[in-house]
Amino acid sequence: MRAAQVRMTDALLRSLGGRTVLLHIPAQAIPGDIGEQLGLALPLFQDVPIGPAVLRKVRPRIATAATERPAECELLLSASAVAKIVGSLDYQSADVLFANASGVLVDGELLEITSATSVEGFGSAYLYRLGLRASAADLV
Amino acid sequence: MLNIQLAKDTFYATLRDRVAAGNAARTVVLRGTVRPGVVVAENELPGAAVDGISPADAFCLRWTGLSIDTQGPLPLIALGCEIRYATDGTSGMAGMDRGRALAAMDAELTAAISQAPQSACSMLVAEVAGGGASTEAMTGTNVFWGDVSFKAAVMNNERMERTAEVEVFSYGQ
Repeated sequence: MRAAQVRMTDALLRSLGGRTVLLHIPAQAIPGDIGEQLGLALPLFQDVPIGPAVLRKVRPRIATAATERPAECELLLSASAVAKIVGSLDYQSADVLFANASGVLVDGELLEITSATSVEGFGSAYLYRLGLRASAADLV
Repeated sequence: MLNIQLAKDTFYATLRDRVAAGNAARTVVLRGTVRPGVVVAENELPGAAVDGISPADAFCLRWTGLSIDTQGPLPLIALGCEIRYATDGTSGMAGMDRGRALAAMDAELTAAISQAPQSACSMLVAEVAGGGASTEAMTGTNVFWGDVSFKAAVMNNERMERTAEVEVFSYGQ
Protein backbone atom coordinates (compact mmCIF):
# COMPACT_ATOMS: atom_id res chain seq x y z
CA MET A 1 0.00 0.00 0.00
CA ARG A 2 2.84 2.36 0.95
CA ALA A 3 4.71 1.79 -2.31
CA ALA A 4 1.46 2.29 -4.23
CA GLN A 5 0.97 5.71 -2.63
CA VAL A 6 4.49 6.77 -3.56
CA ARG A 7 4.08 5.52 -7.15
CA MET A 8 0.73 7.26 -7.50
CA THR A 9 2.19 10.54 -6.17
CA ASP A 10 5.13 10.32 -8.56
CA ALA A 11 2.75 9.68 -11.48
CA LEU A 12 0.58 12.62 -10.41
CA LEU A 13 3.60 14.94 -10.15
CA ARG A 14 4.80 13.85 -13.61
CA SER A 15 1.38 14.45 -15.08
CA LEU A 16 1.45 18.00 -13.67
CA GLY A 17 4.73 18.84 -15.34
CA GLY A 18 7.15 16.86 -13.22
CA ARG A 19 10.20 19.06 -13.52
CA THR A 20 13.60 18.69 -11.86
CA VAL A 21 14.96 21.31 -9.45
CA LEU A 22 18.33 21.55 -7.72
CA LEU A 23 18.73 21.34 -3.97
CA HIS A 24 21.56 23.71 -2.93
CA ILE A 25 23.41 21.89 -0.13
CA PRO A 26 26.62 23.01 1.60
CA ALA A 27 29.53 20.59 1.12
CA GLN A 28 31.40 19.12 4.06
CA ALA A 29 33.44 21.60 6.11
CA ILE A 30 37.24 21.29 6.47
CA PRO A 31 37.82 19.47 9.78
CA GLY A 32 39.74 21.45 12.40
CA ASP A 33 40.01 24.64 10.35
CA ILE A 34 39.36 27.64 12.58
CA GLY A 35 38.56 29.75 9.51
CA GLU A 36 35.49 27.56 8.97
CA GLN A 37 34.40 28.11 12.56
CA LEU A 38 34.91 31.88 12.39
CA GLY A 39 32.96 32.33 9.18
CA LEU A 40 36.07 33.23 7.17
CA ALA A 41 36.17 30.29 4.77
CA LEU A 42 34.03 30.36 1.66
CA PRO A 43 31.76 27.33 1.93
CA LEU A 44 31.46 25.02 -1.05
CA PHE A 45 28.07 23.91 -2.29
CA GLN A 46 26.72 21.03 -4.29
CA ASP A 47 23.56 21.18 -6.35
CA VAL A 48 21.68 17.91 -6.18
CA PRO A 49 18.96 17.33 -8.80
CA ILE A 50 15.65 16.25 -7.35
CA GLY A 51 12.45 15.39 -9.14
CA PRO A 52 9.71 14.94 -10.11
CA ALA A 53 8.69 18.24 -8.58
CA VAL A 54 5.90 20.72 -9.19
CA LEU A 55 6.28 24.43 -8.51
CA ARG A 56 3.27 26.63 -8.03
CA LYS A 57 2.75 30.22 -6.94
CA VAL A 58 0.96 30.82 -3.67
CA ARG A 59 -0.94 33.83 -2.49
CA PRO A 60 -1.24 34.29 1.29
CA ARG A 61 -4.87 34.22 2.43
CA ILE A 62 -4.11 36.42 5.42
CA ALA A 63 -1.80 39.44 5.15
CA THR A 64 1.31 39.02 7.32
CA ALA A 65 3.27 41.71 9.13
CA ALA A 66 5.47 43.92 6.96
CA THR A 67 8.61 42.44 8.54
CA GLU A 68 7.55 38.90 7.73
CA ARG A 69 7.95 37.80 4.15
CA PRO A 70 5.53 35.00 3.32
CA ALA A 71 6.33 32.09 1.04
CA GLU A 72 5.96 33.06 -2.59
CA CYS A 73 5.71 29.62 -4.08
CA GLU A 74 5.29 26.05 -3.07
CA LEU A 75 7.30 23.09 -4.24
CA LEU A 76 5.74 19.65 -4.19
CA LEU A 77 8.43 16.98 -4.09
CA SER A 78 8.32 13.26 -4.58
CA ALA A 79 9.10 11.42 -1.34
CA SER A 80 10.88 8.67 -3.28
CA ALA A 81 13.35 11.23 -4.71
CA VAL A 82 13.91 12.77 -1.28
CA ALA A 83 14.49 9.33 0.25
CA LYS A 84 17.18 8.57 -2.35
CA ILE A 85 19.08 11.79 -1.51
CA VAL A 86 18.71 11.29 2.24
CA GLY A 87 20.19 7.82 1.85
CA SER A 88 22.98 8.61 -0.60
CA LEU A 89 24.20 11.75 1.20
CA ASP A 90 23.92 10.10 4.62
CA TYR A 91 21.52 12.57 6.21
CA GLN A 92 19.59 11.36 9.24
CA SER A 93 16.19 12.37 7.88
CA ALA A 94 14.44 14.54 5.32
CA ASP A 95 13.98 17.22 8.00
CA VAL A 96 17.74 17.40 8.54
CA LEU A 97 18.31 17.54 4.77
CA PHE A 98 15.93 20.49 4.33
CA ALA A 99 17.23 22.24 7.46
CA ASN A 100 20.79 22.03 6.12
CA ALA A 101 19.96 23.04 2.55
CA SER A 102 20.68 26.65 1.65
CA GLY A 103 17.80 26.76 -0.79
CA VAL A 104 16.41 25.41 -4.02
CA LEU A 105 17.67 26.46 -7.44
CA VAL A 106 14.77 26.89 -9.84
CA ASP A 107 15.69 28.05 -13.35
CA GLY A 108 18.94 29.51 -12.00
CA GLU A 109 17.27 31.44 -9.20
CA LEU A 110 18.04 30.52 -5.59
CA LEU A 111 14.92 30.38 -3.43
CA GLU A 112 15.01 30.13 0.37
CA ILE A 113 13.18 27.31 2.08
CA THR A 114 10.70 28.80 4.57
CA SER A 115 8.94 25.62 5.61
CA ALA A 116 8.99 21.90 4.96
CA THR A 117 6.07 19.63 5.66
CA SER A 118 5.37 16.06 4.69
CA VAL A 119 2.15 14.41 3.67
CA GLU A 120 1.93 10.97 5.17
CA GLY A 121 -0.18 7.90 4.76
CA PHE A 122 0.14 4.51 6.45
CA GLY A 123 3.00 5.84 8.55
CA SER A 124 5.30 7.01 5.79
CA ALA A 125 5.72 10.19 3.76
CA TYR A 126 4.71 10.13 0.10
CA LEU A 127 4.98 13.86 -0.65
CA TYR A 128 7.00 16.81 0.69
CA ARG A 129 5.76 20.37 0.47
CA LEU A 130 8.38 23.14 0.65
CA GLY A 131 7.49 26.81 1.10
CA LEU A 132 9.89 28.95 -0.96
CA ARG A 133 10.61 32.65 -1.33
CA ALA A 134 13.27 34.78 -3.03
CA SER A 135 16.54 34.89 -1.09
CA ALA A 136 16.81 38.03 1.11
CA ALA A 137 20.32 38.64 -0.28
CA ASP A 138 18.85 38.90 -3.81
CA LEU A 139 16.22 41.49 -2.89
CA VAL A 140 17.14 45.07 -3.75
CA MET B 1 40.65 51.20 12.97
CA LEU B 2 38.92 49.33 15.80
CA ASN B 3 39.05 45.61 15.35
CA ILE B 4 35.99 44.39 17.23
CA GLN B 5 36.12 41.05 15.47
CA LEU B 6 39.44 40.24 17.21
CA ALA B 7 37.68 40.18 20.57
CA LYS B 8 34.86 38.01 19.24
CA ASP B 9 37.20 35.50 17.61
CA THR B 10 39.54 35.31 20.58
CA PHE B 11 36.78 34.76 23.12
CA TYR B 12 35.21 32.05 20.94
CA ALA B 13 38.51 30.21 20.42
CA THR B 14 39.36 30.37 24.13
CA LEU B 15 35.93 29.16 25.22
CA ARG B 16 35.97 26.38 22.62
CA ASP B 17 39.39 25.13 23.79
CA ARG B 18 38.45 25.29 27.45
CA VAL B 19 35.13 23.48 26.95
CA ALA B 20 36.91 20.81 24.86
CA ALA B 21 39.57 20.41 27.57
CA GLY B 22 36.89 20.09 30.26
CA ASN B 23 34.77 17.57 28.37
CA ALA B 24 36.18 16.14 25.15
CA ALA B 25 32.85 14.43 24.48
CA ARG B 26 31.05 17.77 24.17
CA THR B 27 30.98 17.89 20.37
CA VAL B 28 28.61 18.97 17.64
CA VAL B 29 28.31 17.86 14.01
CA LEU B 30 28.03 20.79 11.60
CA ARG B 31 28.24 20.44 7.83
CA GLY B 32 29.38 16.86 8.24
CA THR B 33 32.31 17.68 10.52
CA VAL B 34 32.69 16.93 14.22
CA ARG B 35 33.71 20.03 16.15
CA PRO B 36 33.97 20.99 19.83
CA GLY B 37 30.49 21.84 21.03
CA VAL B 38 30.81 25.63 20.88
CA VAL B 39 29.30 27.43 17.89
CA VAL B 40 28.96 31.09 16.95
CA ALA B 41 25.57 31.52 15.30
CA GLU B 42 26.60 34.44 13.08
CA ASN B 43 29.54 32.48 11.64
CA GLU B 44 27.40 29.67 10.27
CA LEU B 45 25.21 29.50 7.20
CA PRO B 46 21.90 31.35 7.70
CA GLY B 47 19.90 28.20 7.09
CA ALA B 48 22.09 25.99 9.22
CA ALA B 49 19.63 26.03 12.12
CA VAL B 50 22.30 26.89 14.67
CA ASP B 51 20.86 30.26 15.56
CA GLY B 52 19.79 29.89 19.14
CA ILE B 53 19.56 26.44 20.51
CA SER B 54 18.68 24.14 17.64
CA PRO B 55 21.65 21.80 18.11
CA ALA B 56 21.16 20.21 21.51
CA ASP B 57 24.06 19.61 23.92
CA ALA B 58 26.20 22.40 22.45
CA PHE B 59 26.85 26.02 23.40
CA CYS B 60 25.59 28.57 20.83
CA LEU B 61 27.13 32.03 21.09
CA ARG B 62 25.34 35.16 19.91
CA TRP B 63 26.95 38.56 20.04
CA THR B 64 24.42 41.07 21.29
CA GLY B 65 25.35 44.44 22.85
CA LEU B 66 28.28 46.66 21.95
CA SER B 67 29.61 49.77 23.66
CA ILE B 68 32.87 51.62 23.05
CA ASP B 69 34.40 53.96 25.62
CA THR B 70 36.67 56.39 23.81
CA GLN B 71 37.63 58.49 26.85
CA GLY B 72 40.82 56.57 27.72
CA PRO B 73 44.18 56.44 25.87
CA LEU B 74 42.87 53.39 24.00
CA PRO B 75 39.19 52.78 23.21
CA LEU B 76 37.64 50.12 25.44
CA ILE B 77 35.32 47.75 23.59
CA ALA B 78 32.61 46.01 25.62
CA LEU B 79 30.65 43.24 23.91
CA GLY B 80 27.64 41.37 25.22
CA CYS B 81 27.74 37.64 24.59
CA GLU B 82 24.68 35.45 24.96
CA ILE B 83 25.36 31.74 25.30
CA ARG B 84 22.33 29.54 24.68
CA TYR B 85 22.23 25.81 25.25
CA ALA B 86 19.69 23.07 25.51
CA THR B 87 19.45 19.37 26.16
CA ASP B 88 16.94 16.59 25.70
CA GLY B 89 18.83 14.28 28.06
CA THR B 90 19.94 10.91 26.76
CA SER B 91 17.74 8.49 24.86
CA GLY B 92 19.02 5.60 27.02
CA MET B 93 17.47 7.29 30.04
CA ALA B 94 14.32 8.25 28.07
CA GLY B 95 15.16 11.90 28.70
CA MET B 96 14.72 11.57 32.46
CA ASP B 97 18.26 12.83 32.97
CA ARG B 98 17.75 16.14 31.14
CA GLY B 99 17.96 18.11 34.39
CA ARG B 100 21.28 16.48 35.19
CA ALA B 101 22.51 17.05 31.62
CA LEU B 102 21.65 20.75 31.87
CA ALA B 103 23.37 20.99 35.25
CA ALA B 104 26.47 19.39 33.72
CA MET B 105 26.45 21.99 30.93
CA ASP B 106 26.03 24.78 33.52
CA ALA B 107 29.08 23.47 35.35
CA GLU B 108 31.17 23.10 32.19
CA LEU B 109 30.38 26.64 31.10
CA THR B 110 31.11 28.09 34.54
CA ALA B 111 34.44 26.23 34.68
CA ALA B 112 35.44 27.39 31.19
CA ILE B 113 34.61 31.05 31.76
CA SER B 114 35.72 31.36 35.39
CA GLN B 115 38.99 29.49 34.91
CA ALA B 116 41.97 31.76 35.61
CA PRO B 117 43.08 33.78 33.82
CA GLN B 118 39.85 35.34 32.61
CA SER B 119 41.74 36.78 29.69
CA ALA B 120 43.54 35.68 26.52
CA CYS B 121 46.00 37.20 24.08
CA SER B 122 43.94 38.39 21.14
CA MET B 123 44.23 36.27 18.04
CA LEU B 124 44.18 37.35 14.42
CA VAL B 125 42.97 34.69 12.01
CA ALA B 126 43.53 35.06 8.28
CA GLU B 127 42.12 32.94 5.52
CA VAL B 128 44.71 31.64 3.07
CA ALA B 129 43.93 32.80 -0.46
CA GLY B 130 42.77 29.97 -2.69
CA GLY B 131 41.54 27.82 0.18
CA GLY B 132 43.35 25.63 2.66
CA ALA B 133 43.70 25.93 6.41
CA SER B 134 43.62 29.37 8.02
CA THR B 135 46.60 30.95 9.77
CA GLU B 136 46.56 32.27 13.32
CA ALA B 137 48.77 35.00 14.78
CA MET B 138 48.83 36.55 18.25
CA THR B 139 48.56 40.31 18.60
CA GLY B 140 49.88 42.41 21.46
CA THR B 141 46.55 43.11 23.15
CA ASN B 142 44.41 41.11 25.55
CA VAL B 143 40.77 40.18 25.60
CA PHE B 144 39.22 39.78 29.06
CA TRP B 145 35.78 38.97 30.37
CA GLY B 146 33.61 39.05 33.49
CA ASP B 147 31.76 36.30 35.31
CA VAL B 148 28.93 34.43 33.69
CA SER B 149 25.33 35.04 34.75
CA PHE B 150 22.55 32.54 34.15
CA LYS B 151 18.90 33.08 33.32
CA ALA B 152 16.15 30.73 34.46
CA ALA B 153 15.91 27.37 32.72
CA VAL B 154 13.00 27.08 30.30
CA MET B 155 11.08 23.91 29.44
CA ASN B 156 10.27 23.64 25.73
CA ASN B 157 8.30 20.41 25.45
CA GLU B 158 10.78 17.74 26.51
CA ARG B 159 13.78 20.03 25.96
CA MET B 160 15.43 22.08 28.71
CA GLU B 161 17.01 25.35 27.64
CA ARG B 162 19.04 28.01 29.35
CA THR B 163 20.67 31.28 28.36
CA ALA B 164 23.83 32.60 30.02
CA GLU B 165 25.41 36.00 29.54
CA VAL B 166 28.96 37.25 29.80
CA GLU B 167 30.52 40.59 28.99
CA VAL B 168 33.73 40.57 26.96
CA PHE B 169 36.19 43.49 26.88
CA SER B 170 39.12 44.45 24.73
CA TYR B 171 41.21 47.56 24.12
CA GLY B 172 41.08 48.69 20.53
CA GLN B 173 44.25 49.10 18.54
